[in-house]
Amino acid sequence: MMATELLLNITICFAITISSFAFSWVLARSEPEHNGKSKPALWALVIFWALVGLTYLPTTIRMIAAYMHNYELDLVMYNLASVPFAFISVPLVYFIIYIIVGDKKISTYVSLIFTIFGAAYLALLYSSGVNSTITEWASLFSINSDIAINIYLMGLFIVPTAMILGLLLIILLQRVPKRLRYRTTLPLVAISFVFDFMLTDMITNVDVMQVSARLFVLIGTVQAFLAYFPPLTLQEKLGIREYQYDLYMEDGETGSKHQIGDDTDV
Amino acid sequence: MSENIDVELEQEIATFYQSLGINQGPGDIQYRLMLKVLEKNDPGITEFADIREYTDQFADRGSIGSKMKTVFQLEGLVKKVKRGGYVITDKGLMAASFLKNTTVFYKKTKKMGEIIERMP
Repeated sequence: MMATELLLNITICFAITISSFAFSWVLARSEPEHNGKSKPALWALVIFWALVGLTYLPTTIRMIAAYMHNYELDLVMYNLASVPFAFISVPLVYFIIYIIVGDKKISTYVSLIFTIFGAAYLALLYSSGVNSTITEWASLFSINSDIAINIYLMGLFIVPTAMILGLLLIILLQRVPKRLRYRTTLPLVAISFVFDFMLTDMITNVDVMQVSARLFVLIGTVQAFLAYFPPLTLQEKLGIREYQYDLYMEDGETGSKHQIGDDTDV
Repeated sequence: MSENIDVELEQEIATFYQSLGINQGPGDIQYRLMLKVLEKNDPGITEFADIREYTDQFADRGSIGSKMKTVFQLEGLVKKVKRGGYVITDKGLMAASFLKNTTVFYKKTKKMGEIIERMP
């Protein structure tokens, strides 16, 4: 009898799918609010979150298949989910390189290298074949090769993580307004959260570990959402509320209209 | 020491410091260029013609001479060695070193600002 634990796994995967697709959609919709310089990074981010969703959509179906003892579908969905997963570092690398260097060409070349690495991973994966194990918590696949492929995969993920940490350090060492610091560091933390727990999810062969990794991916997605669209209560609590000041607002103390905050007669 | 003086960059930096409310010293393009030329010519003598080569687009005739007297000479940044000829002092070199730091600060701030700007 299949246990309810697997149902929990399905729910988490589904929640990740929905929330990352929704986040990607909302980010894409906010495009007019961004200036020309941040647009390439924004689109990279949109693609990144869409790829997270695309990875977890087949994974959800895969878990349902495992629950219903449909092993063929499980395997097909595993192979399908591996495709967006293999290329997830591509938009991320583009995002980070573009933010640091500011050159679209360089970012494209570097992300192209990661595309090749991702494709090589897929080729390796498909040529090696996989072994499946279904437990009451999860459906696990282990790749029929030595650990080389896992090490390779780690390389594919650790380099972008190191880049994120570097960027995070650059921003944290600067004196910037609190609101800006929140807006810049929290998405980065969320991205590295999601990114690394996806890796853990993919390479682990402990069922509970898979579920908890997915839980953290979900937390990361919510965190990223909060980073971009913080609710008012959170803004007030963190002291990052953006105050609107109207230049032509009546000034209470002088009782007259002034341009550009003329306080000389206060 | 014969590094080239990038007049456009100096103008950019001066404008940046002016925007921070610093209109003299690092925020004054004439001051920047004069100090740069004096430093470049160290330990030789700097004549007005050397400075005018760079400052002509920013300065009216006479303002360089007046600045040399009221700012540089009075504060002991330069020593007059002949008519129209000045040599930078130790204090002047210190000021030049500070000016370099303001350039570094400007570049760092600009770079960081651009990174933040590119962040969606």
